[in-house]
Amino acid sequence: MTVSGVLSLEPSATATAVREIVQNSFETSTQLRIAGRSHWIDAGRPVPAGKILTLAAHSGVIDYVPGDLTITVSAGTTLSEIERITGEQGQWFPLDPHGSGDGTIGATIATGSFGPLAHSFGRARDLTLGVEFVAGDGRVVRGGGRVVKNVAGFDLVRLVTGSWGTIGVITEVTLRLYSLPPRPVSLALTVPDGQQALSHRLKSLLALPTNPLAVELVDAEVAGLTGLPRRKTILVALGGNRAAVAAQTDSLAALGGMSEIFPEVWRRLRVVDDAPAGTPAYDHPAPNIVLRISALPGRIGDVWTTVENACEQIPGARMHASPGLGIVRCILPPSAGFEAVHALTEACKSATIVCERMPRELWPLISPTVVGDRISQGIKRAFDPQNILNPGILGR
Amino acid sequence: MSDTALAEKLSAIVGERFVLMREGDLLVYNSDGLPGYRRKPRLAVFPGNREQTVAVVRALAESGSAFVPRGAGTGLSGGALADDVVLLGLHRLKRVMSIDQENLRAVVEPGVVNLTLNRTVAPLGLLYAPDPSSEAACTIGGNIAENAGGPHCLKYGVTLNHVLAITAILPDGEIVSLGNPEGEIDGYDLRGAFIGSEGCFGIALDVTVRLTKKPAAIRTMLADFVSVDDAAHVTSAIIASGIVPAALEFMDSPTIKVVESSVYAAGYPADAAAVLLIEVDGTEAGVNADRDAIREICISGGARTVKVAQNDAERTRLWQGRKKAFGAMGRMAPHLVVQDAVIPRTKLAEVLEKIATIARENRVTVCNVFHAGDGNLHPNIPYNADDPDESERVHRSMGEIMRACVDAGGSITGEHGVGLDKIGYIELIFSQDSLHAMCSLREAFDPEHRSNPGKVVPIHSCQEWRATRSGRASDESGTLAGTAST
Repeated sequence: MTVSGVLSLEPSATATAVREIVQNSFETSTQLRIAGRSHWIDAGRPVPAGKILTLAAHSGVIDYVPGDLTITVSAGTTLSEIERITGEQGQWFPLDPHGSGDGTIGATIATGSFGPLAHSFGRARDLTLGVEFVAGDGRVVRGGGRVVKNVAGFDLVRLVTGSWGTIGVITEVTLRLYSLPPRPVSLALTVPDGQQALSHRLKSLLALPTNPLAVELVDAEVAGLTGLPRRKTILVALGGNRAAVAAQTDSLAALGGMSEIFPEVWRRLRVVDDAPAGTPAYDHPAPNIVLRISALPGRIGDVWTTVENACEQIPGARMHASPGLGIVRCILPPSAGFEAVHALTEACKSATIVCERMPRELWPLISPTVVGDRISQGIKRAFDPQNILNPGILGR
Repeated sequence: MSDTALAEKLSAIVGERFVLMREGDLLVYNSDGLPGYRRKPRLAVFPGNREQTVAVVRALAESGSAFVPRGAGTGLSGGALADDVVLLGLHRLKRVMSIDQENLRAVVEPGVVNLTLNRTVAPLGLLYAPDPSSEAACTIGGNIAENAGGPHCLKYGVTLNHVLAITAILPDGEIVSLGNPEGEIDGYDLRGAFIGSEGCFGIALDVTVRLTKKPAAIRTMLADFVSVDDAAHVTSAIIASGIVPAALEFMDSPTIKVVESSVYAAGYPADAAAVLLIEVDGTEAGVNADRDAIREICISGGARTVKVAQNDAERTRLWQGRKKAFGAMGRMAPHLVVQDAVIPRTKLAEVLEKIATIARENRVTVCNVFHAGDGNLHPNIPYNADDPDESERVHRSMGEIMRACVDAGGSITGEHGVGLDKIGYIELIFSQDSLHAMCSLREAFDPEHRSNPGKVVPIHSCQEWRATRSGRASDESGTLAGTAST
């Protein structure tokens, strides 16, 4: 990307400041790369933008009434800041996307990111109650509201969430919060060798009358990176009142091979994409390749084995999965190249593949566009008539 | 095309029996769940299967005819009314096409009744979570149109959280797939945009829903209070405690009285100022702990008694009073206005007091029966629409109540939709620019505004938007080829 400048907002900036920048860009047909703290600036398809508009400084709490279990913040507020502020009130925003905790909430919502907690709390789309954004012609638009249930008007919140900044620049979001679970417990379950044994293990786990906060299957590599013994493992997070947690722990223990682990594992799991160097992605010369392969939960064992086999030939490949969501997430070194990625996507042809990050040259070959349909094209034209917001990041 | 010619064309697709034109035949379709509004459709057509539905929509597209999709007509916003346009009824598309027990999915046609789906999956230990009070009649297609909720949405989420994929036919006849049965969405969430679009974006032909495992244990409690204020504060305290009840419902004294004097009598204490119906579910051990914690909050917050249902029969009875409360209000007066505003949960006591004042000043009886756990109010006023003075007082009260809720930071509707009923209020919460944006989203699906015209967003908002945009196109940038101005 050839960028001739970075447009940063002042900390006290309002939607009006963003509006002026976008309005100006609209009038001069200047294409913008919309960014939070620029962690993922190389994610997505290549963007031919002249300028970066970063919302990192546009941060802070706009409204937080703990009793309502909702919080409204500016888009540049970091996830760790939200965690700190809500944590002081015994609450949390239960969205744990992969990546650094100092990523912004605006970027998290714009990319529709999520992590293991989606197993019980849903994804960004389920936790975002309201948004304010600046559309590509400079109009300031609001969708949703600050209450937990709302069907007024057509749903712009769902539309903007996961739209990667192509419909509008998110300036403010209202989020649904939960009380921190009183007794969090993290458990590990061993995984027997062989595809059938794995499928059976996952099925018996998901069939239990438990309601875990998260269930994650990790391979030996990822287990090692989170500080656990280097072997394939199922991680389970439980939470609730003492009796509920005890009862659920007992039913998991009955499956055999269970042990309690330290909760820090979950935090480390969020940053396994960036290993081995442990440096944040934005400092990394070439980010890892990250693909999500999804299938119906009942097929997750099969898909896992397929991906595992395809990755066998790729040194440095690692993977983890959310069995309840039916998602296998596969991380490959940037050096893996077209052949390896192509072989993997071919092997998983019957599943849905979402590319999170790839080197720029792979996008046109592996995933040229996800907005090629008539409705998406119509939406893009209506909200960003000059095609100035993250042009091409979702394809053409 | 003349009405007769259109009727002939549609009869050729669905059979003469399923096209209604005579005034008497159409009478039942003149209103929905809100009897205060009446609109006469141009004609009504009822396709019997998917192929016929596709053919009907394409025939309407060819003739440029506007239409209103309708499920069971139980909606509470006037959204399913057809004002001199074609009414397209979908209740005959009622096949449960497949159930995938392992993956907790079912594929259904839009006319499947919510409760029928639940009864079909119940023997497998499963349920479909959204449970609007009209569940015995309302359809999944209608639930999608309204993004319907229900008491148990407090814990389980609304329709949006339980619909994974939709095959839809757009008003121009194109068939599109929205969402993904596997749950992943890459690109714009068109499924999310379609759900809650009140029939303005097209018609669902089949729907993949997420099923939920029945909880191992349920505890249902009734807490009664001599003060409305105490009940409101207890609601806030339960939410703040961190327990997420499966449901937390509020009924005030006028509601309790009318329910108890009806065939749906549920054993609510007739002298209570308010009752809370609270349900928790989960593991056997867990629900007992939650039950005890909630009982403690209720008692220390001023509850007179907390009664726990001892068996399924008692539970069903407690719920029956709540679910049939709207129907029971029919005993008080021939007409009923129903509101659906949502307020922040910490403002319950304050707003309920304001509502009481508004009712007193306007000499109307407000029956409050609502989803307290998520702040979704239903202040209802039974009245006689044939009495102009009373009508005026009722409608004035409704306007004042709506403003009080908006002033408290709320929304005008939590689950019933805007439809016709609340279109006059939508500008209280959204700017013209936001309404314009909603119009442009609609136009990506239905550029001609032929599906459910005139609902949700005021027509003038869309017209102004088009005028502005075409103005910009020539004044500023020279060209905006392909924008959605039609």
